[in-house]
Formats: sequence, structure tokens, C-alpha cells
Amino acid sequence: MGAAVRETDPIERYVAELGARLQGSRKQVRDLLTETRDSLTDASEAHLGRGLAEEEARQRAVEEFGPVREIANEYQAELAVAYGTRTLIWLAIVLPLMHMAWEYGRLLLVGPWQDFGSMPPAWYLFIAKANDLTSGIASGVALVTLILGRLLARRCDAKLLARLGAGVALTAVGAVLLGNLSIIVATAHLDVARLVQSLPMSVASLVTWTVIVRLGLLARRCLSCATIVA
Amino acid sequence: MKPDALRGHLDALLLATLDGRQLHGYAIIEALQQGSGGALDLPTGTVYPALRRLERAGHVVSDWSTVGGRKRRTYRLTQAGQRALNAERSAWREFTTVIDGVLGGGKWAQQ
Repeated sequence: MGAAVRETDPIERYVAELGARLQGSRKQVRDLLTETRDSLTDASEAHLGRGLAEEEARQRAVEEFGPVREIANEYQAELAVAYGTRTLIWLAIVLPLMHMAWEYGRLLLVGPWQDFGSMPPAWYLFIAKANDLTSGIASGVALVTLILGRLLARRCDAKLLARLGAGVALTAVGAVLLGNLSIIVATAHLDVARLVQSLPMSVASLVTWTVIVRLGLLARRCLSCATIVA
Repeated sequence: MKPDALRGHLDALLLATLDGRQLHGYAIIEALQQGSGGALDLPTGTVYPALRRLERAGHVVSDWSTVGGRKRRTYRLTQAGQRALNAERSAWREFTTVIDGVLGGGKWAQQ
């Protein structure tokens, strides 16, 4: 459809304005806008059937749909929940898989860690244990949030749910990031050579970090979708 | 009827509209307006986020299909949606019976 039509046709203008205010998964936004355009076209055809002129029928359909700002805010809340849900599913699946794959790879390529020569200090063992548990806990929390979100879908405001999802996603990724960073710093403090003793494991670590950063970006976008005023 | 008064009941109204049939968005809006004799005066755009909410809750599912060259998203109730609708109907009957007992039968009703 040409730019001139988009500027003059009330339905196309409305859909374009709505689309410009929305943020979320491209497919979800596209689906919402397709459905909106469909609904407006149906409404204008109904008004045409009742005897209104075409321009008036299209304008009436837009007016009945509601003020674009108000509708965009309701749409945005749903888009934010959908984005949060998708991110939490990723976290629930990817975090434990990533941790297990890394540990399995280490056993396969490096074997059990050799002793440090002497027993590592208690603080190191604590960090190692905490790092081992973080991915599982973060994944579990993401899963519980997903279940809660489903149970509260009709009882809780969508904007609140979206913010809760974004908060959990950011906290989960932050905890995993902190766990990984802590164990690297702690290991470097005790025996820096251990960090680069196996090239395949260095590559695996790089992949792990890439996935964590990617999940972090998804979580940040969740927050952006949940807090934007459409 | 004012939109604010309707909002709290929109989910139940949508579930009832989809009872036993599969409809696309505008058909749902038309059915709502016809069912109320035109008294439901809600911005039609608010129906779509409500349908998404019901889908999130697992009470409706949607499918895309192409009808007459246009992509259409149609909605239908799930079993959980049917149970939710039954619960909404029971709660509504109970509510109206209680309120009617007071508002409909009080002395001011006879004035």
C-alpha cells in the first residue's frame, strides 16, 4: 500500500500509529496489527452495509475501536507479558542445559579437576557450590513464575505481570552472570593457569558467556517492553 | 452501558460469546453487541487484549486461517474455558439472586 494511502485512509493511519507505539516480538506485533486491520475493515464494511459513505464508514470504525493511545497501552501490556513469557521459557530450558553441557564437556575433555595441591579454602568451595546451584535455582524460579503467570492471568493486571516477569528474568540472568564471574575470579586468584588449561573448554566457556549475554539482552528488552508507555 | 462497568465482566462475556462456537474478533464484537441489544458500548479495540488474556489463561485458543483472501484469527473455548464459563455463570446467578433479594424486594422497590 502506498504512502499516500497510508496518510489519507483512516484505517491505515490508525494501524500505522498503533504499530509505531508498540514494542515486542515482531511476529506478535505483526499479528496484532493484522487482526486490528481486519477488525477495522470488517467494521467499516458493516457500516457501509448500513448506508454510510465509504470514508465515513472507515472513520466510524476507527472511532469505535478506541483512542489509539489507550488501545496501544492495553496491547503493549499483552506484548510485554508475551515477551516475558518467552524469555522465561528460554531461561527455564537453557540455563540448566548450558550448565550440564559445560560440566559434561569438562568431564569428557579435561576429566575431574586436579587438586589445587592443597585443599581449597572454604570461601572457594562455597563459591563453587553456589555457582553449581545458581543455574538450577534460576531455572526453577523462571518455571515457577511461568506457572504463577498462567494461574494469575485473569486475576492480575497484565502490566504488573509483565514487570514481575521482567524482574525475575533480569534477576535470574544477573545471578548466573555473578556466579560465573565469581568462580572465574576465584579460580584466577588461586591458580590462574587452570583457566586456560584446555582450549575446547575455553571455547565452551566463551559459548556459555555468549548465551548468558544473549539471555541478558532478552531480559533487558523484557523490562523495556514492560515499562514503555505506548 | 458505560465501558467502566463492563470491564470487570468482559472476560465472562467473551467466554459466553464463544460458548459452543468458533468466531473471529469482529464476529465476537458483533455477537456481543447483538446479544446485548446494542447496549454494550465498549471500545472494540479492548476486546483483543482481553482475548489475549484469556488465551494466556488457557481458556481460549486461536488459529489463523485465510478467508476470502484475508488472514483471520479465530478463537474457541478450551475445556478449561468451558469450566471457567460455568463457574462465571454460577457466580453471576448467585450474585444477582442476592442483590435482587435486596434491591428488587426492598420497600423502595415498591415505591
